[in-house]
Amino acid sequence: MFRHDSPDEAAFRAEVRTWLAANLPAALRGRTNRPPPAELMPWYRMLSRKGWIAPHWPKQHGGMGATLNQQIVMTEELAQVGAPQLPAQGLNHIGPILIEFGTAAQKARHLPPIIEGSVIWAQGYSEPGAGSDLASLATRATLEGDHFIVHGQKIWTTWGHHSDWMFALVRTAPQAQPRQAGISFLLLDLHSPGITIRPIKTIAGDDEFSEVFFDNVMVPAENLVGKLNDGWRIANALLGHERLGTSNPQFALMALERIKTMARASGVMADPTFQDRLAAASINVIALAALFSHAVELTNRQHGLGPDSSIIKIFGSELLQALDELLIEAAGSHAAAEQPIATDFGVVDVSTPFLQVRRATIYGGSSEIQRNIVARRVLNLPN
Amino acid sequence: MELHLSSEQTLLREAAAKFAAAAGPKVARGFRRRDISFAPEKLRQAGDLGWLGILVPSSAGGLSLGLTELALVLEQAGRGLVCEPIGLAAISAAALAQGHTPHPMLERTMNGAALVVPALQEDAHCNDLAEPRMRAADADGSIRLTGTKSFVCADGADGFLISAYGRDGPALFYVDRHAQGCELSATQTVDGRKLSTLRLKDAPADVVPSRQSSRNAVEALTDLALIALSAELLGVMEKAQEITLDYLRIRKQFGKPIGSFQALQHKAVDIYIRTQTTRSLLYQVAANNDPYRIDPALAVAVKAKASEDALFVTEACIQLHGAIGFTDEHDIGLYLKRAMLLSSLFGNAAAQRRRYVNLADLTV
Repeated sequence: MFRHDSPDEAAFRAEVRTWLAANLPAALRGRTNRPPPAELMPWYRMLSRKGWIAPHWPKQHGGMGATLNQQIVMTEELAQVGAPQLPAQGLNHIGPILIEFGTAAQKARHLPPIIEGSVIWAQGYSEPGAGSDLASLATRATLEGDHFIVHGQKIWTTWGHHSDWMFALVRTAPQAQPRQAGISFLLLDLHSPGITIRPIKTIAGDDEFSEVFFDNVMVPAENLVGKLNDGWRIANALLGHERLGTSNPQFALMALERIKTMARASGVMADPTFQDRLAAASINVIALAALFSHAVELTNRQHGLGPDSSIIKIFGSELLQALDELLIEAAGSHAAAEQPIATDFGVVDVSTPFLQVRRATIYGGSSEIQRNIVARRVLNLPN
Repeated sequence: MELHLSSEQTLLREAAAKFAAAAGPKVARGFRRRDISFAPEKLRQAGDLGWLGILVPSSAGGLSLGLTELALVLEQAGRGLVCEPIGLAAISAAALAQGHTPHPMLERTMNGAALVVPALQEDAHCNDLAEPRMRAADADGSIRLTGTKSFVCADGADGFLISAYGRDGPALFYVDRHAQGCELSATQTVDGRKLSTLRLKDAPADVVPSRQSSRNAVEALTDLALIALSAELLGVMEKAQEITLDYLRIRKQFGKPIGSFQALQHKAVDIYIRTQTTRSLLYQVAANNDPYRIDPALAVAVKAKASEDALFVTEACIQLHGAIGFTDEHDIGLYLKRAMLLSSLFGNAAAQRRRYVNLADLTV
């Protein structure tokens, strides 16, 4: 909407668009939920063979070494064709973390399987007693000889029960103050003895996440990333990038199209009060696109956005929820239907996106936690 | 989030900030309920600095700059509660510069010796911008306008740019303040300035042509006005935010600075989200649109958001100040009142959304 492609970017966009049109399976397009691994991973591996699975990774590690603008072109084209979201924990989290902080051996062992799509990763941050107060996490890792003994529990682990490996924050210095100084960053093979994984069904009807129990699990000491007790810094190093990624305006634009279809089908588009609120939401979608474009410009010119990335996450996720509220309003009494609704204007899935988007203001730090961060670190308000 | 500016743009912003710092709440108070609610010599100073000709092509003596530069100056004007109508004068100059030969009023408008302002609105909700009821009649080779314009910032004006329906549809015309058949009646605004009703009866006028490459001159001027007002609104809300954040850090209750309380912190962040999103939207639109060919849906979106957010922000700033914020003595109320004025002009947020519904085809 605001960015203009350079000639190179335009050529790249055309190439991506053509390839996606020819290769993305129809069954994977326009899904409002994430397909299970059996359906999704073949598509992942297809992108991998094309060389496009990791646009943001350096070439030496199997990525494309793409510019930020090329990455955005890619995201836009994937969204445009209705491609499903790929599992992000390997590609967007542990991959970049290992590239920045990992040993040569860790990179050699773990990066190629992520690129190939032969290994799925899970993130082990939250615990039953450590959600918003993440630094209170209690899963213990005790160094005994050349192994850590890990004991405790992780929860809200996205795709935990489909995953082969987990990167986790664990407590290695129980008495350390501040608490953040007693946390380390560890790689765990989820097929190790002593691990139990239970899927958790979500309100959206899927089992996207799970809980993971560790009963004195032996983890080789070489699976420590970075220095002992330096895990907090590593976990936070890439958060800004994650917040920017989840706020791509394409998701909001797609939500807007669903609302328009539903509102025309149900006739509510003729109601001036509905039109007014849809106009307000549409204008905020343009504002999100502007904010995103502004953030990309800044990120291209300096190292990162810093804590300002929190406002993009707040604005983007709350806007998505506002859009899905308009969607169920447009659907009227169809809103509660579990299955997509067939209309004269096309099939519209209403309840699934509405339920799915509840999580957007919770994961990656809730909107309230983001507001705390902005208040302290951007606005410099006192403690 | 900072803007990425060239060194010339940074210098321009610094100059505008200096100009605005010389204004501020105290000066703005001094102009309340005065005959002319700004200082004509300050308008000339803005002219000397080139700002009134900021969009005017260099061939016509202007700076030939873009919407970003216009916004940078007006954002500072908003911050400083500047009373001189720099934005309205600058966009009028841009309109006067469109023809093959510049309008005779262009030079004096650009140097601030004369003030020309747009008079486009006919009703309170701007339902009429594209279809004015003002009539332009061609009689004996001269054009005469008849009709009424409302909510005109006529204070100190020497002439008006008026939309009227002529032989070939809506067009833009210039009418001199002292022309025969031109009558003004003013009402006070909340911030101590004036808005006028302009009644024309067979008033002599001349056509202001549109730029060759551009759309209708009326639409071009309208969209420029929306951007100009939005930039000023952004400055108003940013300064109100700054004053309020300072207060949250200093004011103590329950033995602590009130800015340490989470309820107030989250309200402060909501204010910040409004100012930042308006800022990104305004400057992304400014950077990607030619002043004479602004995408009307984007201009409308910017004014809708800036109007709504400026009221949200300045209202919240009063609330965060508590009782002191409700006094005339405290400056924070001045920002609310300026936001009330600017958000209401050329269509408030709701009026812009009504236009957006059609522009973005949010229809059956």
